[in-house]
Amino acid sequence: MSAPIRFALVGNPNCGKTSLFNRLTGARAKVANYPGVTVERRSGTVTHIATPTEILDLPGTYSLFVTSPDEQVARDVILGKLAHEKRPDLLIAVVDACNLRLGLRLVMELKSLNRPMVLALNQMDEAKRRGISINTAALSQSIGMPIIETVAVNSQGVAELRQYLDTYAQSAQQPTEQGAQVLTLSDRQESVEALYAEIESIMSQHVIQPAHLPRWQDRLDALVMHPLLGMIALFTILLVIFQAVFAWASPVVDLIDAGFSSLGELVGATLPDGILKDFIVDGLIAGVGGVLVFLPQIIILFFFILVLEDSGYLTRAAFLLDRPMRGLGLSGRSFIPMLSSFACAVPGIMATRTISDPRERFITIMVAPLMTCSARLPVYALIIAAFIPEQTVWGVFNLQGLTLFALYFAGVASAALVAWMMRRRTAREEFPLLLELPSYRWPMMYHLLMGLRERAWIFIRRVGTIILALSIVLWFLATFPGAPEDATLPAIDYSFAGQLGHFMQPLFAPLGFNWQMCIALIPAMGAREVAVSALATVYAVGEESIDVALGGALAASWSLPVAFSYLAWFVYAPQCISTIAVVKRETNSTKATLFFTVYLFALAYFAAWVTYQVASAIVN
Amino acid sequence: MNIASHADSFTPTLRLDQCRKGTSVRVTSLIGQPLFGAQDESVSLRLKELGFLPGAHLKVIGFGLLGSDPLAVQVNGTKFALRRAEAAKICVEPITPHP
Repeated sequence: MSAPIRFALVGNPNCGKTSLFNRLTGARAKVANYPGVTVERRSGTVTHIATPTEILDLPGTYSLFVTSPDEQVARDVILGKLAHEKRPDLLIAVVDACNLRLGLRLVMELKSLNRPMVLALNQMDEAKRRGISINTAALSQSIGMPIIETVAVNSQGVAELRQYLDTYAQSAQQPTEQGAQVLTLSDRQESVEALYAEIESIMSQHVIQPAHLPRWQDRLDALVMHPLLGMIALFTILLVIFQAVFAWASPVVDLIDAGFSSLGELVGATLPDGILKDFIVDGLIAGVGGVLVFLPQIIILFFFILVLEDSGYLTRAAFLLDRPMRGLGLSGRSFIPMLSSFACAVPGIMATRTISDPRERFITIMVAPLMTCSARLPVYALIIAAFIPEQTVWGVFNLQGLTLFALYFAGVASAALVAWMMRRRTAREEFPLLLELPSYRWPMMYHLLMGLRERAWIFIRRVGTIILALSIVLWFLATFPGAPEDATLPAIDYSFAGQLGHFMQPLFAPLGFNWQMCIALIPAMGAREVAVSALATVYAVGEESIDVALGGALAASWSLPVAFSYLAWFVYAPQCISTIAVVKRETNSTKATLFFTVYLFALAYFAAWVTYQVASAIVN
Repeated sequence: MNIASHADSFTPTLRLDQCRKGTSVRVTSLIGQPLFGAQDESVSLRLKELGFLPGAHLKVIGFGLLGSDPLAVQVNGTKFALRRAEAAKICVEPITPHP
């Protein structure tokens, strides 16, 4: 049997390739409104067609003359330069109908490769709304390839495209294998003007385009890109997010919390006393429930991140912050990977592939994990709720929300400091910014709901797998061996976990950590949220009464300086294993990975030590 | 005021980084930028590919926070953020006189 026919979606950044890919394959890859959402090739199968086919979603590129690692991926696939990978049989060029010139330029460049191509003219609905009128049939004739009008975000035209691919796959014979095509800079240099002249003449014949973009777009840009008003808007947006994470989530958090407490009591009352009851109440319900209560806060955080991503605002923030970030050896291009890292550092670090300057990319990778990821949110939320009173300050702000903002800010400020220390001091050649600012659009309900469902599901899956597993292991370690007959201390002190905690504690004594806190540090390496379930398990096993909420137990046994010190540790925190793994993969350097791990550990230790010493001095 | 109405004239040329917010200009030529060193040629190519070609109409729509850097420029209905270093590669002539 022959290999399946391979299609590849190619086009400018942000023209809708991934939306089309999702529609054609039924996949749920991330979609947003900024250039560079897709940085890796992604493969899938076209659904509902007769022949087995493979379709590739490629990172967006403006040209085959690439300037960044993500564009390199697209180019290598198109030209068949990847080892063990057949060149795509058919290129599906995706062009944003609202941005026709730029899209057609790439299409014409691809056309010179003499490969089978079909053009998907995407976002036709928006183009019509803006008064852009395209004579598709005539355009197709002029450029010499079939054109299919699509609206990827609501399936329109996708059926037609699928039909075309089906017909193509059935009729295509195995293409004769050719070597990788080679292009050099001098091949093209003189023809850009010629190509554009051709496009101008084609467009003047077949396209009627209004001279102006919609007015509200320009008005909005005048505000959000204003040097002063824009910065005020940016900080207001960020502050509102942190307020919302606390203020809006708390009713639901309380509800889930109460649910788990009653569940614990119910099980406690029904099951006979013994090891099974202890396991279910202290191990499972305390451990898993302790983490699951933070789901509403994670959903709210992601809701805001998704709205910012889908609206087109992110690149404006990158524009505003380019100059300040340059002082740190970064640029506006580093902003988007850093913002993604608030969700999780792993996709954030991968998003650095859109950065062309290798040195800037390296620094961004090194500091991205200082952005507080959503896995740290449960740890912060637990400790803040236990130690910071819920009161309103200056009339509008919630003190807990402000504390959370301060912790996020500490991460950002530290990232700035580290980047500044790592920046290149000797003047070298500069790299251009050249960042496209996409049109605004209303965040699409479909994307939002899909995105939230995806994130909620990832979180629940983590709770159900790694967090559950670590909780169970921890419960065993905290329960066995039992206390000897003549025990004077609580039973947990004699357990394996207790012994380990006591063993580690001297190392962390200067930071004020007690041995329970030390135990929680180890499983937190696997997933940061586990610090919470570990504390829940350790304290639940240690306590006589099961109905003491974890927050209450912490407030009773930690002093304020200790709580702050623990928070400071988690701002820098030992990176989770997956972050270290992605740093290794993206830098491809053991030395860099080692440096990354050691510097963050050292920083965490140092910051917690300073916090503890200073806070203790103030409290006394 | 008549600044460099021809690309090949010897009068001092206006560059995009010298334009004020709100100005509409036409590209006359692209020139070298030593700051980009060896990759200057590929920066020129990318600028052209994005539409910054002789004859193209540009509009300066905004500036960044400090030192009017970067610039936001609209070309062919698409908005781009350029730094001053890139903008200085683009020689332009005003379409309408400065307001």
